[in-house]
Amino acid sequence: MDSTIKDFEAAIAELETIVKKLEDGDLALEKSLELYERGVQLSRFCHTRLEEAEKRIEILNERGELRPAGATFTRDESK
Amino acid sequence: MSSQFDLFAEPEQEPEPKRRERRILTVSDLTAHIRGVLENTYSDVWVEAEISNCRLWNTGHLYFTLKDPGAQIKAVMFRSDVRALKFKPEDGLHVIVRGRLSVYEPKGEYQIVCERMEPHGLGALQLAFEQLKRRLQAEGLFDVSRKRPLPALPRKIGIVTSLDGAAIRDIIKVLGRRYPNAHLVIRPARVQGDGAAAEVARGIRDISKVAGIDVVIVGRGGGSVEDLWAFNDEAVARAIAGSPVPIISAVGHEVDVTIADFAADVRAPTPSAAAEIVVARKEDFCNHIERLSQRLTGAVRGSIARLESRVHLLNRRPGFAGWSARLALRGRHCAETTHALRHAARASLSHRIRAFQALRLHLEQYDLRRRLGGVRARLVGVDAMLRAAATHRQHRAEARLRTCAASLDSLSPLAVLGRGYAVVWDDTRTRVIRSASEVKPGDEVRVTLSEGELTCEVVKTDGLDN
Repeated sequence: MDSTIKDFEAAIAELETIVKKLEDGDLALEKSLELYERGVQLSRFCHTRLEEAEKRIEILNERGELRPAGATFTRDESK
Repeated sequence: MSSQFDLFAEPEQEPEPKRRERRILTVSDLTAHIRGVLENTYSDVWVEAEISNCRLWNTGHLYFTLKDPGAQIKAVMFRSDVRALKFKPEDGLHVIVRGRLSVYEPKGEYQIVCERMEPHGLGALQLAFEQLKRRLQAEGLFDVSRKRPLPALPRKIGIVTSLDGAAIRDIIKVLGRRYPNAHLVIRPARVQGDGAAAEVARGIRDISKVAGIDVVIVGRGGGSVEDLWAFNDEAVARAIAGSPVPIISAVGHEVDVTIADFAADVRAPTPSAAAEIVVARKEDFCNHIERLSQRLTGAVRGSIARLESRVHLLNRRPGFAGWSARLALRGRHCAETTHALRHAARASLSHRIRAFQALRLHLEQYDLRRRLGGVRARLVGVDAMLRAAATHRQHRAEARLRTCAASLDSLSPLAVLGRGYAVVWDDTRTRVIRSASEVKPGDEVRVTLSEGELTCEVVKTDGLDN
């Protein structure tokens, strides 16, 4: 995705720092716009990561193969 | 003996013969006898004692001494029984053993062969637990510094547990509620009974290598201490500690604490709790990011507004009064200059265009065809001169030729013909007849005269003697 963002945690942490900086600091206009752009980029990244994971259950067998879990495990157990 | 105690000499006489019938045993016989007595009498005994000189041999057999303050007895436990022990016998341990007595004939020693052993006081499992815990702790396996933080949003969640157990269903149910699009990878493993620990340990090693998995839950639902025992196994503890990704242990209920819990990066009291720990609610994530985004926009808007108002304020300061008027003035000046510049440029351009047109006209007037006409007239003149010269040369050549021909004529043998001579040829006119002998009467000859020729017939040849 974006090579400047390491992972979800890093993205959230950086976003928090940026928000704090913008809220506290008396920054130059250019600097604040730069930070804002980065912040938007980070928040998009987080949203994407939240949605991208596919609802899936797989079984790792003895031979190291991944197989779909099948009907045995569906999340829609109404219990 | 009898000589020293005479008082008893008499009665000794009677039984003497019987006694003298000595039954002499070999050491082997005696030992065999002792062995029979001891092994039959003490074929199943329980002994409470303290262990000392405990030593596990390469063969797998365990040799030790059982003692109390007053006595000691050698003991051995064979490999198959040692293997069944949950705990590790060690010096100083107070135990109760069950076994049989056995005599080792070559050395005349007797020992107790232990079949079972349990710690006195503590349960065997409890002891084993304490022993392993102490050992691994000393090794630093449970150190807080080894604990890794869990990823906030795992890409894939690994789970090592039984497919038949309650744990997997609980985990799936909770995750489905909190984070519906989580990606789970399950490594099925037996979680109780023989070989369970090895399966769990291998499962942990295998699943932590799967690409994208960045946290693993290992555990099972509630059960008896024996049921949970696989999670007190050293192999499981080492697999957890050696895993490249963080491990959450989730064994039994809140009250159950296992070695796996100590080794894990995070201990969850139950499998359901593990599912809650492994990933936060999706809504929480979304809300958090949403709030951050709002604050981000708000903050940047705020800072822009602050800058704007600063500009506004500065604008109204006396130093800047009339600033815009000056600007307008400059603007007009600029517009005027631009206009002048454009005008000048246009004027210069039209001047150049005119110059160009003049040049072109000039060029057109300078007609090449007219020049060409002059050249052609000269060419005709030259041609005529050339032709006259040529004619002149020809006339001269002809005159010379005539002169030459005249002198040639005077020299020609034929010229004499004019003076009345004639030349006689043969009939083919190829040979000059010089002698009458060359012909005979009747031959035809030709005679060339100064003017014309005659064809004559020889009538007679004369004047020849030969």
